[in-house]
Amino acid sequence: GILAHLERLETQMNRSHKRFEGPQRTQAEESTLGTRIHKLRLLRDKLRAEVKQRQAEIEASAASTEPDQTLETSEQEVLETKLENLKALLQAYHFTGLSGKLTSRGVSVCIHTAFDGNLLDSYIVDLVIEKPLWIHHHSVPVFIPLEEIAAKYLQTDVQHFLFSLCEHLNGYAGRKYQADRLQSDFAAFLAGPLQRNSLCNVLSFTYKVELGGQSFLFCARLLYKDLTVTLPTDVTVTHRGTDALSTSWEEQRVSHENLFRTTSLHKAFTSFAGGEKLNMSL
Amino acid sequence: MEAERAEVRALEAEIAALRRACEEPTAPWKETAKAKKSFKNIYQSESERLESSKDLRRQLGHLESELSLLSTLTGISIRKYSKKTEDLTSTVMTEKNIKKVLQRYKLSGDCHMVTFQLEFQILETQNEKNLSSVVTDLNIIMEPTEYPELSELVSRAEERRDLFMFFRSLHFFVEWCEYRKRTFKHFKEKYPDVVQLPEGATSSCLGIQNASQPGFELVIVWRIQIDDEGKVLPKLDLLTKIPQQALELDKKNVIESAPLSFRTLLGVLGIEASLESLIKLFFNTKE
Repeated sequence: GILAHLERLETQMNRSHKRFEGPQRTQAEESTLGTRIHKLRLLRDKLRAEVKQRQAEIEASAASTEPDQTLETSEQEVLETKLENLKALLQAYHFTGLSGKLTSRGVSVCIHTAFDGNLLDSYIVDLVIEKPLWIHHHSVPVFIPLEEIAAKYLQTDVQHFLFSLCEHLNGYAGRKYQADRLQSDFAAFLAGPLQRNSLCNVLSFTYKVELGGQSFLFCARLLYKDLTVTLPTDVTVTHRGTDALSTSWEEQRVSHENLFRTTSLHKAFTSFAGGEKLNMSL
Repeated sequence: MEAERAEVRALEAEIAALRRACEEPTAPWKETAKAKKSFKNIYQSESERLESSKDLRRQLGHLESELSLLSTLTGISIRKYSKKTEDLTSTVMTEKNIKKVLQRYKLSGDCHMVTFQLEFQILETQNEKNLSSVVTDLNIIMEPTEYPELSELVSRAEERRDLFMFFRSLHFFVEWCEYRKRTFKHFKEKYPDVVQLPEGATSSCLGIQNASQPGFELVIVWRIQIDDEGKVLPKLDLLTKIPQQALELDKKNVIESAPLSFRTLLGVLGIEASLESLIKLFFNTKE
């Protein structure tokens, strides 16, 4: 009926539209195509010219004679690389334990310290190169006998002066490290505070020892007479108490004395900790 | 219209190809060098370029002097150095504000005629309280020398991961060896008939003999030892070789006490003067 009729009219209209648009569209299409082709041709010609130019440039630069300017650039690059290399080498000297740099009046030496593989603090000594040589500025702690060492060696043998100072600083750093570790890691073993002086060459402490269910307090006194060493020169371990020690305990006391004389403090206490665990398991 | 569409497709294809040809670098280094140069040209005049070269040279000179200074102070010449960093911080650590970095170093150089190569690792741990740097591994390679004390030093240093002790001891050991070599050479040249170096130039002993008095011989043994703490100590000893007859004539036991007297002499006169006086003994025969 009417719907079908309307449908037929619709399709007729579309067809006629198409026929109507057809030629127009083809015309429009043709003109756009034409413009497009024109544009593409222009672009192609431009690119062809560019490629040709690049070719020419390659051939020209191959035979180019501009050595001076290229050399200069590479010379600068060479210098810059060399500079970087030298800066790195200077940094590397840190690992010898001694590094430094030139100053306007002399030299600023940096002494590095280490103990048991641990890299510790560094200290600076600024030397003025005049006759006589003198120390302008330093960061060496006041309890290190710097003046003594300087009086002995500074004027006659700077290397020896630095070496001796190095020995003293490393000795101090090592002793300090051991005392600090004892205080921080093994506080549970200590009965009372660790007594120490600034040079860390006189150490005194009381610690608990357990053996076969019994527990005793031992007092240890460590003396480092040589300021350049990290192991004590004098060790006394005494028993805190009035009763005499049994043989086995006396043996313990003596073995502890020997241990402190031959091993670093924190390592000695690590072995005590291990030993204690063993005893408890018994 | 089909023809035109075809032309469009052909043109597009050619353009794509041409574009690719343009994108290809011609001589890349020359391009970048030229680009750099032209860039610099914009911002640097000729004189400025010369200035920056001069400035670089001056900086280089300064650094070279510093290196020479350090080489003299430490006795060590570092020739090559490299460093690689590896971040070992895990996410758990980052949450707790802990940072862990492993640094691998390679170092090579020489100390007089002794060459060395070091490879070591340093673990850096940073937490809120402090920063710790620990040498976790140390490998030292040295070319074989005629000094067995050095291989002992190497194993001790590696075991303790003690970089500083290695360099310090190496420096002073080599210096003492050079001094011994020079001293022995000096006496050999001064008194060629009387002085013998049985082991050659790097000999650790020096023999004193006089052809007109066979049977008498003094041997000075000069050992250079490195102790457990890394201290380098020269040790000199006197050995005597005296014919039986002379020994019998020796009422005051001078010969027996000679080694001890030598030690005393060393303390008083020092090494060179002591050696000189001993050698002179063999000249004063019956004068």
